[in-house]
Amino acid sequence: MWRFIAQRVVYTALTLAAVSVVSFLIIQLPPGDFLTSLAGKMAEQGGDLDSASLAGLKARYGLDQPWYIQYWRWITGILLHGDFGQSFEWNKPVSELLWDRMGMTLLLSLVTLIVTWMLALPIGIYSAVRRYSVLDYVVTFLGFIGLAIPSFLLSLALMYILSRYAGMSVGGLFSAAYVNAPWSWAKLVDLAAHLWLPVLILSTSGTAALIRVMRANLIDELHKPYVQTARANGLGEMELLFKYPVRVALNPFVSTIGWVLPHLFSGAVIVSVVLSLPTAGPLLLSALLAQDMYLAGSFILILSALTVIGTLLSDLLLAWLDPRVRYQ
Amino acid sequence: MLTSQRALGRAILYLSIGCGVLGISELTTRAALAADYKEAPGLAKEVAGGKLPPVAQRLPDNPLVVKPVNSIGSYGGTWRQALVGASDGLLERTIGYTRLVRWDPQWTGVVPDVAESYSVNGDGTVYTFKLRKGIKWSDGTPFTADDILFWYNDILMNKEITPAVPRWLRSGNDPVVVSKVDDSTIQFSFKTPNGMLLYYLASNLGSDILAGSPAHYLKKFHKAHNPDVDQLVKAAGSPSWVALIQAKVGNWQSPDRWRDASRPVLDPWKLTVPYTGTTQVVAERNPYYFKVDPEGNQLPYIDRVTYDVMGDVQSVILKATNGGLDMQAQRLNSLETGMVLAAHREQGGYKLFKVQPAWSNGMLICLNQTVKNPVLRQVFQNKDFRIGLSLAINRDEINDILYAGQSRPYQAVPRPGTALYDEKLATQYTKFDVKAANEAIDRSGFTKRDDQGYRIGPDGKRIAFSIDVQTARKDHIDALELIRKYWKAVGVDMQPKPIESSFAVARMLANDQEGLVWIGGGGYDFLGLLDPKWYFPYENQSAFGSAWGIYYQNPKDPNAEEPPAWAKKQQDLYTELLKTVSDEGKLALMRQILAITGEEFPVIGTDMDPDNYGVVKTNFHNVPEIMPDTAFYVTPGPTNPEQYFMK
Repeated sequence: MWRFIAQRVVYTALTLAAVSVVSFLIIQLPPGDFLTSLAGKMAEQGGDLDSASLAGLKARYGLDQPWYIQYWRWITGILLHGDFGQSFEWNKPVSELLWDRMGMTLLLSLVTLIVTWMLALPIGIYSAVRRYSVLDYVVTFLGFIGLAIPSFLLSLALMYILSRYAGMSVGGLFSAAYVNAPWSWAKLVDLAAHLWLPVLILSTSGTAALIRVMRANLIDELHKPYVQTARANGLGEMELLFKYPVRVALNPFVSTIGWVLPHLFSGAVIVSVVLSLPTAGPLLLSALLAQDMYLAGSFILILSALTVIGTLLSDLLLAWLDPRVRYQ
Repeated sequence: MLTSQRALGRAILYLSIGCGVLGISELTTRAALAADYKEAPGLAKEVAGGKLPPVAQRLPDNPLVVKPVNSIGSYGGTWRQALVGASDGLLERTIGYTRLVRWDPQWTGVVPDVAESYSVNGDGTVYTFKLRKGIKWSDGTPFTADDILFWYNDILMNKEITPAVPRWLRSGNDPVVVSKVDDSTIQFSFKTPNGMLLYYLASNLGSDILAGSPAHYLKKFHKAHNPDVDQLVKAAGSPSWVALIQAKVGNWQSPDRWRDASRPVLDPWKLTVPYTGTTQVVAERNPYYFKVDPEGNQLPYIDRVTYDVMGDVQSVILKATNGGLDMQAQRLNSLETGMVLAAHREQGGYKLFKVQPAWSNGMLICLNQTVKNPVLRQVFQNKDFRIGLSLAINRDEINDILYAGQSRPYQAVPRPGTALYDEKLATQYTKFDVKAANEAIDRSGFTKRDDQGYRIGPDGKRIAFSIDVQTARKDHIDALELIRKYWKAVGVDMQPKPIESSFAVARMLANDQEGLVWIGGGGYDFLGLLDPKWYFPYENQSAFGSAWGIYYQNPKDPNAEEPPAWAKKQQDLYTELLKTVSDEGKLALMRQILAITGEEFPVIGTDMDPDNYGVVKTNFHNVPEIMPDTAFYVTPGPTNPEQYFMK
């Protein structure tokens, strides 16, 4: 087991190193750099940057260096000092911008995940056990609708309806009065009053997919001989259901737990932009558009790290669940 | 002092011509003011509690008197606005518009602001500014000539902080010399005449001076004044002291200075929550603001200004239609948004005010006459060819489809109603006429056609080229698709090439573009002088002749190329204009430049950019019904937001 873990950890480190190089390279691929996008933005406003100032700024930001030197500077800063570099656009340390946003992102993702599972698992179990009942058809139908509507469209529609008919302030996670207030009970209540909308939107599509997976998995299990045996031995229907088939049907969820975070994260980017949420998505998007190298690179690195670490966790969990995995 | 009076007199003359009342009221009401100034009720408590000195001590000896647009206001309220993303320029425009000197509301001239008066010597080499005695920063520290000197010596002249002195503070290659005459008098001197300094100071560029001026605050971030600066750098997580002080000072190009709420300002409102990734930016009244209304009430009237930081433009529009914005034009000022705003006036409880784009043209077509491909170069440099292409464009159709009929066919010239407007230049070659277009192109010599009807160029191959268009400008892409069709009808194969705007700029910088469409600046008189890039080869962004423009900026640049005689003549005229002190002289020279532009026809215009709208709540007052819209005017800064009020 320990050898397996060690092996996986080494692979993880190598993958992360590769991801960091590739992400940095990909961000560098589009022509131009932070300064040309700045000049472009100014040109649209009718202003201009003269070439002397441009050259001076290039040197200050280190943009006159080839990409691998910029990369080396960035990655050694992270490894040796935990310093993710400076954001050009914000003129602030990347780490400061990053953790602020990451906190909100994790909160949103976790709440969404919990809501998704709390909705999807019972419904999935129900519709597997009461297959082809009226309620099964109803939830399946609703599920497919949820899956089919793109979340950005749902956000726009809900935003419109809420602001037009309910007079709600849309956008953001807090009311104007609490945006800059220190944390308090009232602020928490205010957060909850705003959080449900993005959570609802984000969990809609996830729930639908999960219901289908759970339903299919469980139906497979319900007809296996061990269920028949247990039933023949007089085990109660409910106890039987949750003790064996449901547990087995949950297996695929455990092995994909690592993908949940990045999935929620990337799904949340568009919704966050539309709803103006203070999460990482909109910041990453604007960093990519402005070619703000270190900020965008750090975001992608951390996201990848979360994915890779998540996968590692799933692997370990699976290895623990199913001994065969260890000896492959 | 005689020159100073003459300068003031000229400013007043200009103002009265342009119906500007601000400057006049300033002079007539000054004497009438008694010493009993009034202030916002919120501040009275702090004064009574001993936290603030009385209002008369906070104001300078000679406060600037602002005449309200409609009526004297009442104190209080929060002015709610919304901005988008990380580098929106809205704060600069709505609370950061204080300058040494600034534009009058009608944009007809320059008037004093922080400086109580200014004078220029005869040849435009020495500018003298008298600061208001007793004027104070928002933390109560006096603002003196030494503050400006700090900006000059320690920010502008420091090679690390300012790698290159910007163009507007040089005459030729020599940077400005700033010197102190006495505590409230400073001088800007140039080796050779600089006729444009006042205009630059009044435009968006001018805010850089005051941003770098609070010496008492900035010194602790400056290596030369604080040997222990490294501790601050470390604490702030900055890579160097230069980066740290840059983040305090910024320059108008990036909103860095709005990331720091502790930097003292001379603006009407002062940040309390900075623009640093939070979802709302907040500014509150500056108790030391140096302006009063004619009844002696200290300005601003409004207590707070808030900016919700949004992820995209659509949510700003939604906010506006719901009545969530009190007064704003930025991000709402596009044609289709205008229609949405008009439809929701009742629901949102607002009115519309007109913002006039400073653009001469909604979309200019630049065929790069200095393109690296020698065949295309020969084709593009042929004036008859360009005239033919212009005649082939159905501008009325573009107007109907893209501008809802709100526009009119137009070439690249300043807007109607300005001193530089010329009807003939504005309308030449704009009449849609396929027959005349074909004749013009035939005159150019490219008469032979291939089997698909396309014309053959000088190399025996089809005349085919691409035009760069920004992906973000859907209207430009659509217009270009129509133009592709029009030009195909006269045998020219043009392909629109949508690219991201930073890529477009990168290509312009390298003179790589075959053609480019862009919105056309220089629509107002002063803007024509400040931003002449579409009228003659001025810099790389003069995309119809980038290499010639680069030559004007720096003849030694590897991409530079000596321009032809006509363009050289324009460049010489502009160099002359930069040295000319009088407004009339400058406008006369600009007319000559424009006459050559009209004659040589380097840029093909399409339709004029129609008027746009901003929203103002019905309980929000003193906003003019119309204002120019451009970063150079710092919209709405010159309309004096400090005298806006709510009731």
